[in-house]
Order: sequence, then structure tokens, then C-alpha cells
Amino acid sequence: MPSIRNQIKELRAARNLTQQELADQVGVTRQTVIAMELDKYSPSLETAFKVARALGVPLEQCFQYEPRGKR
Amino acid sequence: MPSLSYREKTLYASLLAELLLYGTFLVLHGQGTLNQVAGIIAAIILAQVAVQGVIAALTRNRTTDERDKLIELRGYRTGYVTLAFLMVLGLGMLWFHAAIGHLNLDSRRIGLHFLNVFFGMLVISDITKTIAQIVSYRRAL
Repeated sequence: MPSIRNQIKELRAARNLTQQELADQVGVTRQTVIAMELDKYSPSLETAFKVARALGVPLEQCFQYEPRGKR
Repeated sequence: MPSLSYREKTLYASLLAELLLYGTFLVLHGQGTLNQVAGIIAAIILAQVAVQGVIAALTRNRTTDERDKLIELRGYRTGYVTLAFLMVLGLGMLWFHAAIGHLNLDSRRIGLHFLNVFFGMLVISDITKTIAQIVSYRRAL
């Protein structure tokens, strides 16, 4: 499990965006959005910025770094 | 297959083509001629190209992203390790058979035998690569 967690699912739902719509805006596949929402995939910094921009929030509101064992 | 990405569809198709054609290859192994084995190699390549073409034509969204590339790299690493392991194993067996005098390099079929073995190694490592990629996709990574 990556040590980077995110609020993509909650932020996306608040904006009534589908996974496919977010994926299209960011330029990734819907499966990658699903993997990110499940905290199974930590995106690159560039993709993380794109996701935050697509959701209209600062990066740190969308992604949080939690060192292993501190959850 | 609505929940599968374009890359996943191509991987399943590749695996199916590899297993079907390698199954045929195994049946011919030991009884086929050099031309038959070469024909199988050509058939695998042609089948792969045809299947990929059909999937590409039927899939509207052919987006690939960084996760696809990462999974592809993982697959290639697994395939490489498998191929290296099989090569070392094969060379060890070659040395062993030569040491005990069972290796007859004058045999007329020795070329076909080596071709079968090395082709088999390539196909097994390719299948391992494909399976590793499919597993990565199913685990979300």
C-alpha cells in the first residue's frame, strides 16, 4: 500500500464528476483513476498536479503523505 | 469487456494467442520439421498483429498512461528474469549432457532441437511477462 493517500473520490463526488470524465481531463485511463481512488497507485508528481487542477484544489488538499506505520 | 482498459484487452488477446500457438508448437515438438517450427513462429507473429489490429479497431478509447508504462516495465523485468533463469538452466543441462557423453553434436536433428529449446525459452518468458502484466492490472498495480 503506498504511503501517499488521497481524497480524489470525495472531491470528485462533490463535483459530480464521473471517473471517466476525470480520467479524460487528466489524460489517464479510468482504471488508473480507480487505482488511485483505492490508494493502490501513487501517481507521478505531474499527474498528481493534473488531478488536483482538474478537481480545482491545491495539491496538498488532494494528496497527503503519510509515512508507513503512522496510519 | 467494459471494465478493461485497451492495454488489458491486448494483453488477454496476446496471452490467448501465445497459449494456442505454443500448444500447437508443443504438439509438433520433436516430430516437426524445421519449416514447420519456422511456420509456427511466423504464425505467432501474424496472429498477434491480427488480434491487436482487431482490438485497436474495436476500442474507441485507446488511451495509455504512466501506469500502463509502469506495468509494462514490470512485465518486461519479470520476462527478462525468467529468460535469464531458463538460459542458465539450459546451459547447465547442456554442460551436464556433454559431461556424461549424451550430447551428440553430429546428429542431423541437433539444429532443430536447439531451435525448439531456444524458441520455447522465448515463448515461456513472453508468457510470463504477459501474465505478470495481467496480475499487476488485476491488483490495480
